[in-house]
Amino acid sequence: MALDKEGSETEQGPPAALRVPPGPSVRPGGFCRAGAAWRGVGERGSWQCSLSLQKGAACVAVLLQTPALCSRGWEMVSQPAQLPSEPGPPTGAAFCRLPWGKRGSAGRAGPDPIFHLSRKVTSVVPESCLLILLGLGLGGIVLAVAKKAEYQLEPNMFFLFLLPPIVLDSGYFMPSRLFFDNIGSILTYAVVGTLWNSFATGMALWGLHQAGLMDPGVKAELMDFLLFGSLISAVDPVAVLAVFEEVHVNETLFIIVFGESLLNDAVTVVLYKVFNSFVELGPAHIHAMDYVKGVVSFFLVSLGGTAVGLLFAFLLALITRFTKRVRIIEPLFVFLLAYVAYLAAEMVSLSSILAVTFCGICCKKYVEANISQKSRTTVKYTMKTLASSSETIIFMFLGISAVDTSKWAWDTTLVLGTLLFILLFRAVGVVLQTYVLNHFRLIPLDRIDQVVMSYGGLRGAVAFALVILLDGAKVKAKDYFVATTIVVVFFTVIVQGLTIKPLVTWLKVKRSDHHKPTLNEELHEHAFDHILAAVEDIVGHHGYHYWRDKWEQFDKKYLSQLLMRKSAYRLRDEIWDVYYKLNIRASWLEGTRGGPLALPSMPSRTSMSESSVTNLLRESGSGACLDLQVIDTVRSRRDKEDAVMHHVLRGSLYKPRRRYKASYSRHFISPDKQERQDKEVFRQNMKRRLETFKSTKHNVCSSKSKARLKEKGRKKSAAPFSNHPLQYLAAAPVLVMVSSDEEESNSSETEREDDEGIVFIARATDEVLQGKKTPGSLDVCPSPCIIPPSPTLAEKELPWKGDQADLAVYVSSETTKIVPVDMQKAWNQSISSLESIASPPGIETGAQHKRFTCPVLEEQPQSASQAMPEQSSCFQFPSHVSKSSRSHSDSSPDGIEQQELQPLMAAEEPSRVVSSAEPRWLIQFNRASHL
Amino acid sequence: MGSAHSLPAEMRALADKTGFTSDQIEHLHRRFKQLSNDKPTLRKEHFDSVPDLEFNPIRCKIVQAFFDRRNLRQEEDGLADEINFEDFLTIMSYFRPIEPDMDEEQLQRFRTNKLKFLFHMYDSDHDGIITLQEYRKVVEELLSGNPHLEKGAARSIADGAMLEAASICVGQMVGPNQVYEGITFDDFLKIWRGIDIETKMHVRFLNMEPIAHCC
Repeated sequence: MALDKEGSETEQGPPAALRVPPGPSVRPGGFCRAGAAWRGVGERGSWQCSLSLQKGAACVAVLLQTPALCSRGWEMVSQPAQLPSEPGPPTGAAFCRLPWGKRGSAGRAGPDPIFHLSRKVTSVVPESCLLILLGLGLGGIVLAVAKKAEYQLEPNMFFLFLLPPIVLDSGYFMPSRLFFDNIGSILTYAVVGTLWNSFATGMALWGLHQAGLMDPGVKAELMDFLLFGSLISAVDPVAVLAVFEEVHVNETLFIIVFGESLLNDAVTVVLYKVFNSFVELGPAHIHAMDYVKGVVSFFLVSLGGTAVGLLFAFLLALITRFTKRVRIIEPLFVFLLAYVAYLAAEMVSLSSILAVTFCGICCKKYVEANISQKSRTTVKYTMKTLASSSETIIFMFLGISAVDTSKWAWDTTLVLGTLLFILLFRAVGVVLQTYVLNHFRLIPLDRIDQVVMSYGGLRGAVAFALVILLDGAKVKAKDYFVATTIVVVFFTVIVQGLTIKPLVTWLKVKRSDHHKPTLNEELHEHAFDHILAAVEDIVGHHGYHYWRDKWEQFDKKYLSQLLMRKSAYRLRDEIWDVYYKLNIRASWLEGTRGGPLALPSMPSRTSMSESSVTNLLRESGSGACLDLQVIDTVRSRRDKEDAVMHHVLRGSLYKPRRRYKASYSRHFISPDKQERQDKEVFRQNMKRRLETFKSTKHNVCSSKSKARLKEKGRKKSAAPFSNHPLQYLAAAPVLVMVSSDEEESNSSETEREDDEGIVFIARATDEVLQGKKTPGSLDVCPSPCIIPPSPTLAEKELPWKGDQADLAVYVSSETTKIVPVDMQKAWNQSISSLESIASPPGIETGAQHKRFTCPVLEEQPQSASQAMPEQSSCFQFPSHVSKSSRSHSDSSPDGIEQQELQPLMAAEEPSRVVSSAEPRWLIQFNRASHL
Repeated sequence: MGSAHSLPAEMRALADKTGFTSDQIEHLHRRFKQLSNDKPTLRKEHFDSVPDLEFNPIRCKIVQAFFDRRNLRQEEDGLADEINFEDFLTIMSYFRPIEPDMDEEQLQRFRTNKLKFLFHMYDSDHDGIITLQEYRKVVEELLSGNPHLEKGAARSIADGAMLEAASICVGQMVGPNQVYEGITFDDFLKIWRGIDIETKMHVRFLNMEPIAHCC
């Protein structure tokens, strides 16, 4: 149970900095390969399956780039029986969609699973079109079988259940900076544009009617047409999202069109209600006061909706501040309160879309800071899943509803007229407004932008739901309006949706460039904001930057303190966040790709990753036969690769702490190890990077080729490995040692055991041993036998425990195996049976001591002699930081964390490191015997 | 805009040089007078009187940029003690928004100029390279607004950024003799490639009337 739970919970938020290209065709290099290492039998072809799987079952484990990957990966791998059926969760990670800014490329988790199977189709046709067509088909079948249309898009269902998730999703993941940067234009288009559109369309249609061009069956007055104009003129957020998400126009353009579609809700709602009541009252009973009321109600509805949203955002942020003990319901609060905001606004007839949008936009910053990483991930994926489900349902139902001919009443003039007018007036409106706005915008919207904006005015389900809501008794021409709306929606979604992509390409609209935010960019942009604010101060112009600056100060001083957890507030800094995320990411990249600090070259890295883990498991079959030497007598190239891979992993992977707790609770989950792991990995990695950087600076880092040469050349040579590019591998064991040391002094034995990382054992076999070992190793699992309390042969042989300098030897000439921890029991037993052959423990330990001191001792002379003193001192920073920042946040209950983290600083203290080697042996042993 | 007025020749020259309209120049001149207490030149102390500027974490750097001779398009190096109105305008002209009628080449130059200004802000010792120390200094100042992050954090961030810059600009650090000394201007351009600075680094200079008088 516990294990299963573990498995299904593996959704971990990726470092947000991570960005994923739109489809499998563009492979996210590093990560996929990282995934490939773990994905076992997963083939490229299965990606799409896994994608749709991922979406269908929202919680299909999406192993992400967080450090937990390794632990999960190993948990998976260590259950060989399961592996082949796993489509490779880590691969899914490549698809994890990203927060909003990348929506263009990644958007939500593949809006529609069905069509993702064919990339070619979806690259040309927007999924919304396909869904509508599919809905039409389905509706047709139902109609043919049941003789009447069974299913309809019910307005109530639409407004109460289908729309909120989409709006919340777009609000929550809205790039708030971009949104507020363009708020002026967005508001203009949303308010003025929508007003203009609806009045102009309504009047023009009425004109057509008056001119007698329409069928006499269309019994409608001016008010009816205005009502129809109001509902047909609003740009629909769902449709805009669905289409624009695939057309990667630049951010400004996108935010303007999309922001408009969100904010025009207030206008639409007001106009619709006002005209609806006018129609119901009848033109005779309308007084001048009613018009005034209409205008007033607009402000009331929009500002009220916004206020409701802000209120709930505030509440939500405040609540999440105090959910530390109930982590599991954190995500629930987010959804619940947002939904309550929606309902509350809806109840008092305020703009519910505005409420949810602003609730999402405003709460995000604080909520994200308060809730745990897991909750963050949960919120993100649940939101995306809900939104895309709703979107799918909406479009399908649009198709299905359209076949219901009983509600249709066709009038060619009305339909064509409406189509013509909405296109025409939209274009006119955009051009006029842009002309005015460009006087105020510093970056004017050029003609191409205007074309895309006017063409991107898609109508969608909101219009449809509103038209269905009309009262047929009062609005005589309802059937005509319904038919027209359906045609308009279909036309805009299908025709415009289909053509907008070629149009954008043809017009050479500035696309959004997809790149990961780099630390430098973040820094510069940050500096930039300050510079601009300063210049505005100096010029004496209280402009946008000035107010933004003021707001940020206010936010920092009061709001954040009020709404954020103390611990979160302290560490809250954008630059630091990016830095942190980049580091986490780098720790993944480093292992897989020749990143900034490339690893030593490995022979055929990709094939290795395919082969190593899977083959090992395939060969070993189940957990029963664990002695791999039995199987593996041939020294193949693959084995060497395995060994290399092992070392890479050994060096750059975090050792997860084992925590299998056979407990189940609906409201409590085991303590959050994710953050701790993150932090630990982060520090380890930063340290490593800095070390490498340092050695690079000191001209001692050898090139790839050099490294290879050395590998060949120095068999058993005790060359100082600080020259070796794998140098950082040396650092890792040291760190781990100390960690166990710390724990020993602070915790009980059992706890220590719990916290002991999974040790991957690469077993180097040699010919002599091989022969003798085979028989003994076959008897599986004798009783948990007594293992002599001495370091085993394994420890001597295993390269990751041994001398770094010997690494090359193992890599080049010996067979090595990786054994997941679950197999270690049997492994240790078989090892123990060979105990006698091994060299005496005493000597071994001594040697070990020497080895551990090695890294530290080697390094010092080097830095002393080659580095400018100031620089070398500077680079020791990570330890300082970790120390100080740790002690800083001492008050919070992550004391345990600190104990675990502290070791990371220990490299500074050689003596401690050396002395710490001993306890670890004991621990190692203890665990083995315990098992 | 202001071409209808009969401009003093001086102002026309300034307008040609900095690209400001005469209205803007008038506004800026008023502001300049205000800042400098009606003296012909501005000194560093004058910037202290600007309200709101004191909260700016990198105000030193910004103020310094005003006195940086490299930014004033003068050949010589070093810091000026005081700047006159023309210098003030020159500095301000770095923050002009792009004009709609600019061609590719002009845009490019525009961008480069803006970046040069920023680069000079980072490169405090005027050697054409942002060294790690300089970078750290800037980052520390940037983060000084957050009292909860210590200097160590700033350092590590600067280190990380430097590493990143190195990897962006040099690619992989392979050769054994390779040392990355710091960010040169070319590297700086590379780093900024992803950001549309020309669409961001600008301040509105029009419509300043309401505040120009009140503060």
